[in-house]
Amino acid sequence: MKAAGERLVSYLFILPAFLLVVVLLLVPMFQNIYFSFFDWDGISRPVYSGIANYAKLLVDRDFLISIRNTVAWVGFTLVFPVLGGLLVAVFVDGVRFERFFKSIFFIPLTISFVATGIIWTYMFGKELGVLNNLFALLGLPLKPSWLTGVPLNTFSMLIAWTWQQLGTNMVMFLMGLGTIPKEPIEASIIDGATRFETFVHVKLPMLRPITTVVITMAMVNSFKAFDIIYVMTRGGPYHSSETLSVTMFRETFTMFKMGYGSAIAVFLSVVVIGMSALYIRQMAKKDLLYY
Amino acid sequence: MRSARKLPTYLILIVLVLLWLLPVWTTFLVSFKSAQDFMSQKFYELPTRVSIVENFRTVMKTYRLHEHFLSSLLYAVSGAGIAIAVSSMAGYSIVRLKPPLFFLLFLLIYSGTLFPFQMYLIPVYRLYNTLGLYNTRIGLILIYAAICTPFALFVYRGFYTTIPKDVEDAAKIDGAGPVRTFFSIFVPQSLAPTAVVALFQMTWIWNDLLFGMVLSRTQNIRPIMVALATMSGYGGGNIPYMMTGVIFTSVPTILLFVLLQKYFIKGMAMSAVGH
Repeated sequence: MKAAGERLVSYLFILPAFLLVVVLLLVPMFQNIYFSFFDWDGISRPVYSGIANYAKLLVDRDFLISIRNTVAWVGFTLVFPVLGGLLVAVFVDGVRFERFFKSIFFIPLTISFVATGIIWTYMFGKELGVLNNLFALLGLPLKPSWLTGVPLNTFSMLIAWTWQQLGTNMVMFLMGLGTIPKEPIEASIIDGATRFETFVHVKLPMLRPITTVVITMAMVNSFKAFDIIYVMTRGGPYHSSETLSVTMFRETFTMFKMGYGSAIAVFLSVVVIGMSALYIRQMAKKDLLYY
Repeated sequence: MRSARKLPTYLILIVLVLLWLLPVWTTFLVSFKSAQDFMSQKFYELPTRVSIVENFRTVMKTYRLHEHFLSSLLYAVSGAGIAIAVSSMAGYSIVRLKPPLFFLLFLLIYSGTLFPFQMYLIPVYRLYNTLGLYNTRIGLILIYAAICTPFALFVYRGFYTTIPKDVEDAAKIDGAGPVRTFFSIFVPQSLAPTAVVALFQMTWIWNDLLFGMVLSRTQNIRPIMVALATMSGYGGGNIPYMMTGVIFTSVPTILLFVLLQKYFIKGMAMSAVGH
């Protein structure tokens, strides 16, 4: 009697969370896969079109440009926000005024991507923007079209992205550096290793678990980048700076090609899940050990 | 040996700090300028007339940012609040009551966080149109709560496994059932996970652009970041107003970070293993 009551309570406690996630996230995901096989404008009746949407992906010039840009986002992210974040973490670690330096790189984390995009739209302004006027002040004969030049606009947005993201990675790497025991480092210095050698041969291998997490999160997040691009260029001019998320949004909600948008979403998800695989495995391992 | 590396390290750090502060400093400076000053002055010059109050007034009067501000406050508080309520209950049940298939249920709910938003955006948009939830406050609150739930469950589940069992066992002997145990023993101890979830999820909801754009249409419903993004209108817009808008809309998240600072690192450590 009591056991049955407890059983009921145990399910009732899970039910609301279960319903929210299943109804609003999981079922729609399957519907999305289903829609990707239809031609649908969002209003009239969907028409079954087989794999036409997927076939179109292979020949759609805008989509291929979008993939190229997305790859640029991921590659650039690994070099600047991630490797840069690691270097800044190493520089900042144990330095005098550590707290001050950390908090500077931390500031952009507290504001949104939309705000970041707007701030950098001003920084990059052609006539009144800060950077071009700074160049003029320094006597440099440069006046780039940061946000309308192709492919410069993608790199300009990646500068804004680095400004926003570097702090997250720095915090994660500092967390990892904090867990490294002192003995092996001291031993390596006594053995006559330089700071650089100690870093490469002792610290870096010990940072491996956190590095996996940082790299995966950074890759996934840059692969999904949307807000900054939407605010700074809307993917333009002429779709030249779109990434997959922006292309999906445009096809779906401005062109009303819902089926095609669904197919792009499926593509996006497959890549994201593939990128996360390593990290999911590591997490699962940890989870099983932990509990 | 140590001092040899100090100088270059400081030099690099100082250069980086200046680069990082340049956008912050210019944002504040511009928000104090009038449109005329902005057009006629160099970016580093101080305004001839402090116009920030006027800029604020326009940002509210013309762009109604304070109304979006209140809407988003509602979304952030209730979205994260619902996620916290349903996830702490589910987490408790999964950790302690362990109904059949509890681990599968956990994985199922947790899997909601692995996919990009685009994967369910279109069907949710369609569902909302069918159910009349499109362009409603309740609709936005529900989708925000749903998206926050997997991570929140992950945090509560992790935390509840660390609560020792002896107090509960004593309560059980006193005849307390699972419901009373949850409310009198688990809820009062949940400050840390709740602070982590509140910080991260309220910030996420506040900063959301995508769902706000797709699931709402009118000014009285649209969240703050959609309003801010619309102010810019593709490269145009009045820059002093926009910078004032940036500052105004960033106040809540900056405050949250300052107030809940110590939970930020904790949350980063947790999200390192699963967001």
